[in-house]
Amino acid sequence: MSDKPFFVGYLPVPGPLRIFLLSVCVVLIGGLAAAGYIMGVTQDDPGPGAFRFDYGRQTVTGVVEMTPYPVIHVTKGNDRIKPGDSFMMTAGGKSGVDSRAMPLNGQLAEVSGIILERGDLYMMQLRGGRNGLKAAEGDAPEIVAEPQGRWQLTGEICDGKCLAGAMRPGRGLAHKACANLCLLGDVPPIFVSSQPVLGEEFLLVTGPDGTRLPRAAYDYVAQFITAEGEITRRGDLLVWEIDTDTIKVTP
Amino acid sequence: MDAAQALVMAMQTWGIIGGLVAAVFLTIGMDRIDEDARGAYIFRPLLIPGVLLIWPIVLWRWWQIETEAAGWAGRYRAVRGWYGVSVIAMSIAIVAVVITGFAVRQTWPADAEPVQLSTGDSQ
Amino acid sequence: MSVKYTPVQWNRNKWIYDGVMLAGVAAFLWIFLYITPEVLSYEPAINPQIHNARAFGACAFVMLTIILCIGPAARLNRRFLPLLYNRRHFGVMTTFVAITHAGYILNWYFAFSSSNKYVGLLYANSSFGQIAGFPFELFGIFALICLLVLATTSHDFWLKFLTPPVWKRLHYLIYAAYFSVAAHISLGILQDQQNHVFTAMFLVGAAAVIVLHLAAWWSERGDAAARDGAWIKVARPEAFREGFAKITRLPNGDRVAVYLMEGQLSAISNACAHQNGPLGEGRVIDCLVTCPWHGFQYDVRSGRSPAPFTEMVPTYRLRLEDGVVEVHPDANPPGTYVDPLPLPEATPLPQGEPA
Repeated sequence: MSDKPFFVGYLPVPGPLRIFLLSVCVVLIGGLAAAGYIMGVTQDDPGPGAFRFDYGRQTVTGVVEMTPYPVIHVTKGNDRIKPGDSFMMTAGGKSGVDSRAMPLNGQLAEVSGIILERGDLYMMQLRGGRNGLKAAEGDAPEIVAEPQGRWQLTGEICDGKCLAGAMRPGRGLAHKACANLCLLGDVPPIFVSSQPVLGEEFLLVTGPDGTRLPRAAYDYVAQFITAEGEITRRGDLLVWEIDTDTIKVTP
Repeated sequence: MDAAQALVMAMQTWGIIGGLVAAVFLTIGMDRIDEDARGAYIFRPLLIPGVLLIWPIVLWRWWQIETEAAGWAGRYRAVRGWYGVSVIAMSIAIVAVVITGFAVRQTWPADAEPVQLSTGDSQ
Repeated sequence: MSVKYTPVQWNRNKWIYDGVMLAGVAAFLWIFLYITPEVLSYEPAINPQIHNARAFGACAFVMLTIILCIGPAARLNRRFLPLLYNRRHFGVMTTFVAITHAGYILNWYFAFSSSNKYVGLLYANSSFGQIAGFPFELFGIFALICLLVLATTSHDFWLKFLTPPVWKRLHYLIYAAYFSVAAHISLGILQDQQNHVFTAMFLVGAAAVIVLHLAAWWSERGDAAARDGAWIKVARPEAFREGFAKITRLPNGDRVAVYLMEGQLSAISNACAHQNGPLGEGRVIDCLVTCPWHGFQYDVRSGRSPAPFTEMVPTYRLRLEDGVVEVHPDANPPGTYVDPLPLPEATPLPQGEPA
């Protein structure tokens, strides 16, 4: 050991050690650059969800229904949103529009905001206050709920807003805390089914008998689960009343 | 939620006490216990975050130095003996957590089909 | 070295060290942040905030892995010692990168909510009873706190104030932090990511840290076992080499460095007064024992640093008994002058061996 070069921090580096250290420097910088590239380019595709600012602000009229998450069944649409469509609504950030929608339950209302879209799923982020949601003139047609029976489904509970494109990626366990925070803020929860059920991949998921998603289900958010519950068609939306006692994590 | 709020408040309190300790230690305490610090002021703000985080240890050491409670030999007792225990514990724990992580990792159940258990009134 | 404290002590080698480190980190981040989104060209793209959080998180992991490899690498091969020299700056930089990662996460996933983002971080996911879905953020928070403690106590003042053994114990938190980072990654991104390249790189990094540390621990495990008796045998005089030391372990676990300088032997504590670096693995430069870690110097006869420095280490008494150099295990107070032990002029070779 004795004849090997001895490095002292505040003295010039001994000659034979210089080449070694120079190669270490090159390997270090090159290695970090390569690691940055490889780790960066191997990220997964976050999927097709996004805010559609390119569509511009959308304003339509329809019947408000608390499922208990607020849904609107369109009666007077526009170029993009047709009468007969049904969609969920949220406010800006991680909050829902429950307090604004509740007084208008079963009534005709005009909603205005930006669309979030992921495949068949879309949702509207309403403008603030009465600009986003206000009562409209006219008689509201009655919305008939059509029970579709009890189903066992496999898939993942997500928060509807992040899933629809507010966050990319907006699902999965790394995103679970964010999803829970959205659900706690009254953003509607969505169940992503492993395969289409009654033609739909995405279902609004609630507790039994018109209650909110039970807190017991929050532990399973973002995990892949199997569970049972009644499906009801409301407008063109499917609502799944999940029975939390039947939730099982898939292998 | 209450627990989380209490934790955040506890951290704030910890920081406030740390701030008070830092104020006293960096202006008065330091000059009393370290002659190298006398007349050196520019580096002191650098120490504030450290005092905020570990102020109980700061108070303990300050008291030890003031009372000369610690013998001189302790400074020279290298703690290399802990090294083996630390790295073995770390290695086992990392292997365990990585294996556990892989064991619970799920894959998207693409093959699972929806099963209708009963028919609805409108079917 | 003491005299007066300054915020950061610089010298040419530290500038080069920091330059290389910053160039590497800048290359990693710049490529991850600005090149890879173009290469991926996902439509719509990953949120910039999430992309940035991943870049800084991945960078912090890689930096921490490198830092943790430096120590054992230097123990196993002394040519890596220069990387140890300014490792503290590397550590502080890692902490800044990790804070940036935490900032992006906090201001994205936990913002836009009616609750305080710090409170939200702690209560949004309360699935403590399960492994998949466990709030892995907690592991990240713990690791970040460890890194913060290490970075904020990295100034030399803390070494002197806390004493090197306390400081070292505190800095052993790095091992807890690295485990915590591994748990944060294993229960976080690895649960989701479908492309397994990052998983493989993570495994290689963690395995390197584990293997190097275990190898370093194993290699020094065989050091002399504890021995009883007042005087401790060190070695025969011919085993010493001018300018270098032999290290002996005392029954109480302390180590003594016995140096041969100008034909005379002197013994000082093996633990440098600065960071408890192994003085016996250094060498004599300009009549002064020089620590291999940060170049702190001592007069081997008195254990004192040359003026104007004030560091001191304990000294030990030596004797020659039955042709063997022995050391007394009771240390003298730091800075105590001890007369060096002259070696016999010519040590005859044992009988019967060819010259």
